[in-house]
Amino acid sequence: MRSGHFKERYQQLVAVSDNRAAWGWSGLLVVALLLLPLVAGTYPTQLATRVLVLAIGAVGLNLLTGTAGLISIGQAGFMAVGGYTNAILLTEAGWPVEVTLPLSGLAAAVISLVVGIPSLRLKGLYLAITTLAFAFIINHMILYADDITQGNRGIFLPKSTFLGVGLTKGPGLYYLCLALTVVMVLLALNILRSRVGRAWMALRDHDIAAKVMGVNLTVYKLYAFMVSSFYVGLSGALLSLEVRFINVDVYGLLLSIEALAMIILGGLGSVRGALLGAAFLTLLPESIRLVFDAFGSGAQQLFSNYVFQIRELLYGVVIVLVLRFEPGGLNGIWRNTKKYWSNWPLSYG
Amino acid sequence: MEFFLILVATGLVTGATYAMVAMGFAMIYKATGVVNFAQGELMMLTAYVAYSLAGSLHLSFFPLMALTIPLAMLIGLTLERLFIRPMLGEPVFAIVMVTIGLAVILRGATVLIWGTNEDLFDAGFSNDVVSIGPVPFYEVQLYTLAMLAVLVALAWGFFRYTRVGIAMRATANHQTAALLMGISTKRIYALAWALSSAIASVAGVLIASMFTIKPDLWFQGLRSFPAVILGGLDSVLGAAVGGLTIGVIENLSEGYIGQGLKEIAGFVVIVLVLMVRPYGLFGSKTIERV
Repeated sequence: MRSGHFKERYQQLVAVSDNRAAWGWSGLLVVALLLLPLVAGTYPTQLATRVLVLAIGAVGLNLLTGTAGLISIGQAGFMAVGGYTNAILLTEAGWPVEVTLPLSGLAAAVISLVVGIPSLRLKGLYLAITTLAFAFIINHMILYADDITQGNRGIFLPKSTFLGVGLTKGPGLYYLCLALTVVMVLLALNILRSRVGRAWMALRDHDIAAKVMGVNLTVYKLYAFMVSSFYVGLSGALLSLEVRFINVDVYGLLLSIEALAMIILGGLGSVRGALLGAAFLTLLPESIRLVFDAFGSGAQQLFSNYVFQIRELLYGVVIVLVLRFEPGGLNGIWRNTKKYWSNWPLSYG
Repeated sequence: MEFFLILVATGLVTGATYAMVAMGFAMIYKATGVVNFAQGELMMLTAYVAYSLAGSLHLSFFPLMALTIPLAMLIGLTLERLFIRPMLGEPVFAIVMVTIGLAVILRGATVLIWGTNEDLFDAGFSNDVVSIGPVPFYEVQLYTLAMLAVLVALAWGFFRYTRVGIAMRATANHQTAALLMGISTKRIYALAWALSSAIASVAGVLIASMFTIKPDLWFQGLRSFPAVILGGLDSVLGAAVGGLTIGVIENLSEGYIGQGLKEIAGFVVIVLVLMVRPYGLFGSKTIERV
């Protein structure tokens, strides 16, 4: 009788997943997501698009903060770089989305070196605050460079197409985001099982030990910044395509906090966790709205008056509760449940 | 020259507010090793409590503070008990994230209780202008500078002469050794939160009466980060120096270099300072042993 899931060979340890069922279910999930716009209406599709956009950013942040242990509160800044690069290239240069999207990611990755290089000597909270400072500075630069970024007035994005599919109406943007999410998730999973991913984990767990083992801290920290910022920049660019009008408020500081909340809630250092966290926190306000609707018109009124506050409040409560009771996050819950059932009836602990 | 003096003087006033908030940050960091991201929100909450008191009782500044500070300490103790104490023994990163969560909760709760409207905060200051040399001051600005001096003196005396203050320094220095000497670190943590909250309330009332009271007062907490970092996270008195410095630098860069630079000058300064000294100007360098 099977008494657990044992990894007996090295290949099994480094495989993306050595479990056939996991591949099958993931494929099924993608198929279900492909069918979503056909089954559900416009609004659920929009929500799903937002989830995917933020999920890409969360996966990126999780590589930096969860895997490499470099805490960043600068998410909003990197997203702004991506979003503005995308918007400016689309409107001013008139380049197609196929080109501007990767360039937005690259722009964020290059800018991240500006933060990364001065931060090499910093650790923990000092680093966190430097990234926060960076987000402030970016925000200000966008307002300051009025000629390029339209400052306070913001930028309207033109109608655009991706490989002939319109992104403005219908589920075009949703499919683009879905495809990019799948690609970026596979990329992240593969980075994590390569030398780079293992080096990041080593420098998170103990940087001096990692150095002794031959991990070049400078190089791998900068890799972490660049790869993560590529994801985040791409997420910012997709956000600009989704909202279609951007100004500095779109990339407010709350995005940084939300992204951190997503990866903590989902589970630090795990791609699945980032995805779960992004989905959970983006859909949380919707589910709260449904609950308030169920309580009748008085509750509905209260909710619509204070929608942001109630949302914020619950955000905070969820973060605190997760940290207190389930430090592994949603991913931890998932893993425990899986372990319980796969070992049943001999499960323990 | 007069322009310069006015810039420096108003910079010192702004800096004094940063300094007070920064002292609150440093107080908690020194004792517990946690950056309290909810410090700005704590300031906002206590300022709103004082606002409600002032609105119903019409007190002048000192009686108002005499009522507010104990309440603020109570709030600090409660928050510590509810949010931070259960996390004792968890990694620092997790506790810092709890304070971020706490910040979000306090922000939402404040708006739910007091609404989003902006209002004047009347703490009994007159609108007369007092001139010192060529520089005109409002009464509240002079009070701010004076209160900072008082707080700095109190903090210095507290850490230097009182038994509790020394116990707090001991805890910051070496937690296990402090425990072995019979110091209850739990109480020290609670005390740090209470004191930090008290400082926050002074800062909150002064800032709110200098400008207005509104739900984005918490932002002042983030604006004060450069001051804490410049002073070094674990130095309460350094935080005061850092605050004044940042305030003056911000004003001078706004006045002489360019419009809007005020918003980011402090952050640019700390990025530069941290490049040279990764532990801030007055922070203690930790030596890592393997």
